[in-house]
Amino acid sequence: MNLIGISINHRTSPIELREAVHFSVEEQQQFIAILKSNILKEGFVLSTCNRTEIFGIPKSNHISTKNLFDELIKFKNIDTLKIEHIENFNSQNSIKHIAKVASGIDSLIIGDSQILSQCKESFRLSVNQDFSDTITRKIFDISVRIGKRAIKETLISQGAVTVSYAAIQVIEKIFSNLDKKEALIIGAGETSELAAIHLNARSIGKITITNRTADKAGKLAKKVGGSTIEFSEFKQHLHKFDIIITATSAKDFLVSYDDIKSAIHKRKGTPIFIMDIAIPRDIDPKVKKIDNVFYNDIDSLNIIVDQNLQKRKHEIPKVEQIIEEEIEGFYNWYNTLGIVPTIKSLRSFFEEIEMDELSKIKNKVSDDDYIKLEEMAKRLVGRILHNPTIKLRALAESGEESKAEDHTSALKYLFDLDNLPKNGKN
Amino acid sequence: MIDTIHTLNILLPFFYIFTFTIYLFDFIKDESKVYNAKRVFLFVTLFSHVIYLILRTIEFNHAPITNKFEIFTVLAFCLAFSYFLLELLSDIRGTGAFIILFSVIFQVISSIYIQDLIEVKEVLRNKLLGIHVISALGGYSGFTIAAVYGALFLLLYKDIKINKYGLIFKRLPSLEILEKLNFYSVLIGFILLSISILIGVLWLPTAFPDFSYIDPKLISVSIVWLVFGIGILAKLMAKLYGRKVIMFSLAGFIIAMLSLVIQNVAATSFHSFY
Repeated sequence: MNLIGISINHRTSPIELREAVHFSVEEQQQFIAILKSNILKEGFVLSTCNRTEIFGIPKSNHISTKNLFDELIKFKNIDTLKIEHIENFNSQNSIKHIAKVASGIDSLIIGDSQILSQCKESFRLSVNQDFSDTITRKIFDISVRIGKRAIKETLISQGAVTVSYAAIQVIEKIFSNLDKKEALIIGAGETSELAAIHLNARSIGKITITNRTADKAGKLAKKVGGSTIEFSEFKQHLHKFDIIITATSAKDFLVSYDDIKSAIHKRKGTPIFIMDIAIPRDIDPKVKKIDNVFYNDIDSLNIIVDQNLQKRKHEIPKVEQIIEEEIEGFYNWYNTLGIVPTIKSLRSFFEEIEMDELSKIKNKVSDDDYIKLEEMAKRLVGRILHNPTIKLRALAESGEESKAEDHTSALKYLFDLDNLPKNGKN
Repeated sequence: MIDTIHTLNILLPFFYIFTFTIYLFDFIKDESKVYNAKRVFLFVTLFSHVIYLILRTIEFNHAPITNKFEIFTVLAFCLAFSYFLLELLSDIRGTGAFIILFSVIFQVISSIYIQDLIEVKEVLRNKLLGIHVISALGGYSGFTIAAVYGALFLLLYKDIKINKYGLIFKRLPSLEILEKLNFYSVLIGFILLSISILIGVLWLPTAFPDFSYIDPKLISVSIVWLVFGIGILAKLMAKLYGRKVIMFSLAGFIIAMLSLVIQNVAATSFHSFY
């Protein structure tokens, strides 16, 4: 099978290049149109923040991965992208690679749960642009199935692998029900936003944002359905919050030991979870000595992240086993492609005879009798063709190509299938 | 019937050990295959135990509370049954091994040493005494379960504090839930002990001519009752949370156990029935 492809990913190129190569949806559509007219019969383009994959069946045997690369350079106009920044794939390696990508084991964060939906989206785009045919559609199907099986049958996507998600895991070991808890987020940058989104997804009771720039706090609060408080006043309200997450770029501690001590005193010992993901830290780490204060910084949360990544790594062999099984199934299917036209011709040949013979007696019998005869003729043809079809398909799936070819040739010769239009009317 | 009692007496420790093993296996491995099965095994064990206790009561014509080893088997049942109820009510299934372990210990000792007592003091056949003793055992079971949850709370608390994310962190429910389970167990234990004390105070003076209010068992149980009572009040009135409440229940449990040991080893009174 002549499937070729190139991949620009976290192993082959730095982030700057991966960003430069990244396709927007509109760009993907334009690029697919170019590929379709010049290089590939069918295929797909997958582009995420961490990888860009271009795969397909070339229009002729002279077309190689080099042509894909050249076309990419031309489209993106990137001088810095060199041939060493890409991985090339041919034939069986291509399918294996696509399967690995869809299952998440080739992702920067092993078991990345987003990659499967990104694959589905790029497959959908290919179908919509009429850039897919029998083989690529089958590849899409098995890739999606592999992705789903990996999630369902293994632990490849289990456990927190980001600091803010790891924090949620710790929070859930302290509080049983987040919908009655209140969280304060100090800072309104990207990290704060991610934390706020995670908390929101867990149905936290209330989110309050505070930031030196009130505008930014307001925007984030709007995004997560929270409220804001003045940055100059937040310390007076610390005792109201069960969860405090801080990620600012302040150079000194924003919250002191005494601030938290006073807050916990006002709360009569009700716990406070603190997640300080700022560098340098925003909260004096000495607060961890206070009873019922659970303080976590990036280092402590990274322990969870590392543990979960290790666990995911241990699941890779299981996912690879799934890939092997599905690829074997794919090749079984692929091997039958050669015999499909013969089976179709054989079926047409018999159906033609059936129709011809039925038409001869149509006016000689009653309508009811004709229907019965028609049904009988269909059953007869079905039963005659059942065994040859099954046996030929089994032979093809077993991989015995020469034997399958001998049998199809015999069938073609015996029934003169290459000259089909004449046959049925003998 | 006596053969069935003897067979169940031999089988029960194995049932408890098996159930404990499954709960422990699930705790360590988080094995989804036994997630539901373990509750079925616990139910079968408890059902067999109920049959055993009923048969003993019928065959020997007295509730199984006339000696230490009969009390041990009732205690084993009370602990496992209380846990079963908690598991059904809260649907928190990860802590069973820690409580069923106590049932294993009590049932094994009971099965080894228990005897077929037909001749007992007449007072031990009294139904009120039966309720008095069983509610006291229920109370102590509640305090034991509370202590187990208290200990688990402290373990998890410490692990989160020092950022240790091992088995305890992964398998135990949240601190808030452990604290709730601890408090509910204390509350149930306290109510049952209160019933036992009430029956004791009302009925014992009529049943025992040498009854005394300065009886060591009565005093120690009153202290235990008081400690837990203050703990419950402190939790409800002062809205105390976390370690302080847990320490209170653990202190109450230690006092309860010490008082039991002292009563059984050192003190003698009308209150000793065997």
